[in-house]
Amino acid sequence: MQSNEFDGNAAFSGGGFMPSQATQTAPDRPSSSSKNSDARCLLPLTVKQLMDLSRGGESDISIEGVDVNNIVLVGRVSKIDNAVSECTFRVDDGTGWVECTKWVHEHIDSVEVDAISVGMYVRVYGQLKSIHGRRTVHTFSIRLVTDYNEITNHFIECIYVHLYNTKMRGCINTQPRMTNSVGGMTAQPQVANSNFGNPGKGYSYETNQVNQYNNDEEQIHALSSTVLQFLRRPASISLHLRASFTQPLKITTNSLMPEIF
Amino acid sequence: MDVSSPAAFVNGGLIRMHVGRKVRTVLQATRSDIASVIGKSTDGYQLVAKGSPPVPLTSYVEVIGVAENENTIRAELWTNFGDTFGMLFYSI
Repeated sequence: MQSNEFDGNAAFSGGGFMPSQATQTAPDRPSSSSKNSDARCLLPLTVKQLMDLSRGGESDISIEGVDVNNIVLVGRVSKIDNAVSECTFRVDDGTGWVECTKWVHEHIDSVEVDAISVGMYVRVYGQLKSIHGRRTVHTFSIRLVTDYNEITNHFIECIYVHLYNTKMRGCINTQPRMTNSVGGMTAQPQVANSNFGNPGKGYSYETNQVNQYNNDEEQIHALSSTVLQFLRRPASISLHLRASFTQPLKITTNSLMPEIF
Repeated sequence: MDVSSPAAFVNGGLIRMHVGRKVRTVLQATRSDIASVIGKSTDGYQLVAKGSPPVPLTSYVEVIGVAENENTIRAELWTNFGDTFGMLFYSI
């Protein structure tokens, strides 16, 4: 595949669309297309993680080795500043607060921002910006949370992504059978989720995870393995899961996740 | 009180570690009046949230405030979480 061709599969890889197998198995992807694909990943983050992000090369912002561009946050609106063409929300998720600016150009934008008031919980999709060292979020979409299990779900996703980017990618990169020069595992052809199969690319927001890392999870700490197995259940988490999972999750968040909470 | 700075997520067992500090938790309301809500925490402890609860009050309510002691929160912010909520998972 030429590096200057528009790669539709990679372009939508961060939005739940599955890339083609050709994209997955192509070795030595040009760094520009790889960077573009990373930039399109959608990362669930907490505000604490946002604020702790480090600066990579050039103008890149990265977390755990993954370029950060589009992020999703869930938090409570604590302040709203309404101007003529923009609306700035201060979103507090319990780990800190960040200002999210939504530009209002069309009627649909006005409808979206008018539905939100102080005290409401919202889900924010946006692009991370850093202006004079101050992090803000340029908001694409800000929506009310109607089912408050979304809050718990978001934090679980943040934990999962953090574990994936720090534990799993490190373990996978040490496997001798890896041949992909990008630094990740050679994707198995039968697997549809290529982003999960390319640790060099980092985690991208996917809802249909394929359990292709059974062999590599043996290398991961037993606790992380338990958490990952739990999180790989179907996207609609049942409210009736066994209490046995809460203990490892408690231990995880209280003692192993100072970077997130 | 400025409630926009980070508040520790607590349950009944953890609140004793944050006495005097800002905390947040979700309670399953068992009894309520105009000045307080008595409810069950995510780990089954009975906690009291003092303040002005919202009217009407749903079965699950998030409370953000200062922990006065190991089973009382002086709440500043209340958010109704509805009548269906996964307390088991919030317990992380």
